[in-house]
Formats: sequence, C-alpha cells, structure tokens
Amino acid sequence: MSGKILSDRVRRSLRKEFGRSLMAKIGLFLILLMFITATFAPFLAPHDPTQQELEESNLPPVGVTQTDEEFQFVDGERQIVEVTVVGTMEHPLGTDALGRDLLSRVLFGARTSLLVGLFGTMFAVVTGVSVGLTAGYYGGRVDDALMRFADIMLAFPALVLAIALVGLLGPLTILIPDPFVQLGLVSNMPDNFVFPVTLTIVVGVVNWVWFARIARGEALSIRQQEYVKAARSLGASDSTILRRHILPNSLTPIIVLATIQVAAIILLESSLSFLGFSGTSLSWGFDIAQGRDYLGTSWWIASMPGLAIVLAVVGINLLGDWLRDALDPGLEGEGGGM
Amino acid sequence: MAQYQFLIRRGLQGLFVVWGVVTVVFLLRFMTPGSPVDFVAPLDAGPELRAQIARNLGLDQPIYVQYGQYMFGLIQGDMGFSYIRGRPASGIIVSRLPATLELAFAATVVAIIFSIPLGVLSATRRHEPTDYAATAFSLVGISTPNFWLGIMLILLVSVGLGILPTSRRPIGLLPAIEMLLFQLDTVGVRTWIRHMILPAITLGTYFTAMIVRLTRSGMLDQLGQPYVEAARAKGLPETLVTYKHALRNTMIPIITVLGLQLGTLIGGAVITEFVFNWPGLGTLIIDAIRVRDWPIIQGALIVIGVGFVVINIAVDALYARLNPRVDL
Repeated sequence: MSGKILSDRVRRSLRKEFGRSLMAKIGLFLILLMFITATFAPFLAPHDPTQQELEESNLPPVGVTQTDEEFQFVDGERQIVEVTVVGTMEHPLGTDALGRDLLSRVLFGARTSLLVGLFGTMFAVVTGVSVGLTAGYYGGRVDDALMRFADIMLAFPALVLAIALVGLLGPLTILIPDPFVQLGLVSNMPDNFVFPVTLTIVVGVVNWVWFARIARGEALSIRQQEYVKAARSLGASDSTILRRHILPNSLTPIIVLATIQVAAIILLESSLSFLGFSGTSLSWGFDIAQGRDYLGTSWWIASMPGLAIVLAVVGINLLGDWLRDALDPGLEGEGGGM
Repeated sequence: MAQYQFLIRRGLQGLFVVWGVVTVVFLLRFMTPGSPVDFVAPLDAGPELRAQIARNLGLDQPIYVQYGQYMFGLIQGDMGFSYIRGRPASGIIVSRLPATLELAFAATVVAIIFSIPLGVLSATRRHEPTDYAATAFSLVGISTPNFWLGIMLILLVSVGLGILPTSRRPIGLLPAIEMLLFQLDTVGVRTWIRHMILPAITLGTYFTAMIVRLTRSGMLDQLGQPYVEAARAKGLPETLVTYKHALRNTMIPIITVLGLQLGTLIGGAVITEFVFNWPGLGTLIIDAIRVRDWPIIQGALIVIGVGFVVINIAVDALYARLNPRVDL
C-alpha cells in the first residue's frame, strides 16, 4: 500500500472513465488554467497589480465605450462635461477606482484563492481524518466525546463561525517572497505575496467536521473486517493498524469530499475577503467589495473578479462530480456548501 | 410511542449541544486578543477609568463567576447590555430576527418553486436540451458566490433597468399584512415584495441549483425501479407515475440534504444581508464584530446556533414521518 493512494485497478478504470467524460476534461482544463495563472502570474500580468495610476482610474475594458460626466473648468467656471473613454489593450479588463490594472489583479488573485483553498482543505483533512479515525477505531467514550464535540461544531453554520473567528482573531498574514522576482526573472512586480494565515486556518477549522464524520464511518466498518482482526492477532499496534490498514482503505470518499471542499473553501475565502476580514487586498472577493461602490459608473470592477471565481469553482465542481461518479462511494450531496 | 422516545432523546441531545454552543461562544471572548475595554473606553482613558469600565461591564470578576452570571442571565433571556448602544442585547437581537427569517423563508420558497419542477423535467427528458440547460444552470448556480450574484443583480436589475430597489427593507411582513387587513392598503405588501425579490433570488439560487441536482439524480434513480414499471404497466398516466410515485420517494433524500444544508442557508443569509443592507441578524453580527460588541456577538451566535439545533430536530422528525421505514 505504501506510496500508492489508489490501487492499480482503480487507477486504470479512472483513466478510462476520464477519456470518456467531456465534463471531466473541461474541469481539469479550468483547474490547470487556475494553477498556471496562480504560479506564473508575474509573467502573465501586464502590470503590477498594486500599482496605482490615478490618471487612469475607472478605465473600461477593451472595446467598451464609457461616457461619464465630469467636473471641468471651462473659461474659469466649473461645468459638467461629458467625457467619452474607450477601453484599450493597455488594460484589457479595464482599471479600478485607483487606476490599478484589473487583469493583473484577477491573475494575482488566483494565488490567494488557490493557496487558501489547498492549504485550508489540507488542514481540514488532516484534522478531520485524525479525529474521525481515532473516534471510529477506539469507539466507546473517546468516540462519544469527539462526536459530541463535532455536533457542537456543526451547530454553527460554517460561514457564520468563520466570520466570527476571523473577525475576532484579527487577520494575521505572512509575506512570502515571490521566487520569480527574487531570481530577477521579472521586474516591476510585487516582491512579496501576502498569505492570509488566520483565514486559512479558520476555513480549515470550520470544515474539518465533515471529514471526521466520513473517516469515523469508514473506520467503524473497516475495523470489523477479517484482515484487521488478523493484523491485530499478529501483534500489530493500534497506530500501525490505523496507518497501514484503515487509513488507505477509507481514502476514496475522503478524496472525493476533499475535491468538493476545495471549491467550498474558495467560495468561503472569497466571502470573507469580500467582508474585508482576510488581511490581504489582492483577492477576488476583496476586489468585488471595492467594485461594489462603483456599480453606477464602472460595472467591470465588480464583475471581472466574480467571473474568475465562478470559472475556478465550476472547474473544481466538474472534476469533483466526475470523481464522485467514477469512484462511487455513495456520497451523494454530502458536505460541500459554502 | 417510539416517536415520542425519539423526540425526547433527540431533545436531550439538542440540549447538550445548546449548552456546548453557549459555552464555546462564552469562551470565544477569552480566546481572542484584546480586551473589550479597549473598544468601549475613550482613547485617552487612564487606568482608573479603564478599571471602572471593566467593573461596570463585570469584567473584573474571575472567569467562572462571569460564566455563572452569564448562564444565569441567559436562562432568564438576559444577554447583557450592548456595549455600544447601552440597550439590552436580547431586545436588539429579537428586533432583527423577523428580517432574517423572512429572507430565509422567501429564499426557500423561491428555491422549491423553481427547483423541483426543473429537476423533474431534467430527469424525465434526459439528454434533451431541457436537461442540458437545467444541468448547466445548476452547475453554475452552486459555483457562484452569492454576494457576487447579489451585486450583479443590483447592477443589471436596479442600476441597469431601474426597476427594483437596491437595498434596505422599509417594511416588515407583519406590519405590511396589518396594513392590508386594517387599512385595506396594498402598498405595504407591494413594497415588501419589491424589496424582497432580489435578496430572495440571491440567497435562493444556490439552493435552487442544489435541489435541481438532487431531484434529477434521485428521480433518475427512482424511475429505473421496478415499482415504476409496475405503475406504468397497470396503466397509470405518466404524470401520476412521475409526480405521485417517483417524486415522493425522491423527497426523502432531498429533505435530508436540505436539513444538512440549513447552515449554508443561514450563512448565506448573513452575507446576502450585508450586500442588500438588510437589517437582519447577519448585518448585526458583522457590525458587532467590527466594534467588539460582545453581548451582541454572543447573543446572536447563540440564537443562530440554537435555532439551527431546533430546526435540525424538526427535520429529523419530518424525515421519520415521510419515511416509515426509518428506524428511530
């Protein structure tokens, strides 16, 4: 079992199923697009996403004509003048109210969503699976105590709990140096990437229970199997049995749930950033909040980052749906949610 | 008999969870950095004034005394006084409840009206354009953050077409109905509906999409069962087969998942309220968190947690009624 998450038989059938499914291919394409965007954002972005050019604020996307009313001094008198602006390729998706290039911000925003999504899910999986396997394997009082605690966690809607925790703990962030900038491969890009630590831990904390429940159920059924009894009678310790026998055999539903949870956590991250609780200002949710104040004049500021979220989440959901159908662990509709 | 036993057992479990919710919420204040005094005291307050404020708020007591006092008050419906507004927190929270409940209710109604027929159509016309459209809609629906959907609706419908209001809730449902009954004036109800449409769609879309998916897969499952063949064989009209037999059996998993997803509904309501400036519990909590108004934060979290536990028990009971095979 070591080194292999899924057996060869499952891998072969997955590969065959994947070849047949258009939806899975579209999903994988969107996910790859997001990975590439997030990784190579400094190369792909036309401008520094944090660079403000007040002269170029609220420019429309390429090809869009926008007529605004502006105060101007004409012959020493203040008058309202109609000004027509046309979007150019200089800023393909337009600029925001501070004149920052929206395309660059959308590209860099992928980093925040992807990293929080992956690390948040990882945190939830590790915590949830450890708790769930322990509870299910030992049973009795340990199980009761852990599952009652899980019940209490489930009494709070994930988003409400996340808002309370992030809002009250305050945004802790760390600066990660951008490797491409450090190596001198690109210039005129931000030196650091702001990684929201509190946010990542909180989105993991509010989602671990789903994994705990599934892992517990699997452990409960697997520990009765003959081979586990055999291993025990041969003198294998509890931790060996958990690691070598129970964990690998309960992985299928956990993988499916984890895929769907990445999508849920990206939605959660964008909601928290939208409320201004994330501590980073380079995030899709944060930009939507900024654009909300300019709906009457500059519709693109709030629209573009939202489209990016939808594309990313659709991609992950497509792949998750396909994985669920292909592996069929009987998970219909559980978990997920924002 | 078994049903009563089940309800009692479930009720006791619920009570335990409620106690846990209250305790966790109480402890939250001690786990977060900073003292509430920082937010209440004037910036130039000296140590004496700060001590005085802490005493007034009861913060100078040891933690177990504060816990005891809080629990004792809570049993009597007393959640303390809002630090900022100086009024009882319970009163403020109760005054915000109708707005949230109305929003959640309207969203659920929107979701059920649109989703179940769409899901049934999708399943009965599998691999036809209707099915593809419904599947695409539901995929995008569960993938769209609802705050962005709300903003886009405001952009298109309110700013673009100028037909519906962008925010606020000038009148509640009860006053609106009162107005209709006693003054025979429909303006209240009309205003209520006009302000409710966009928030209800914003909050309801995710659920519409989710129920479409559940209904579709459930119906496909059921339509392949032998009893459906039998119903057709005895000459039952297809509509009756679909809606009376297959849909009825599909409702059980739908209700189960809906119960599990109630948290998502409440969470979604919080952010929908924020987008539409809706005076409900959600905006109350967000505002209270920004100024660390602890009695409000704690009270609102407790109300949400307890409400959630109660609804879940109700869903379990409903589930048992719908499915006589379920072992209580």
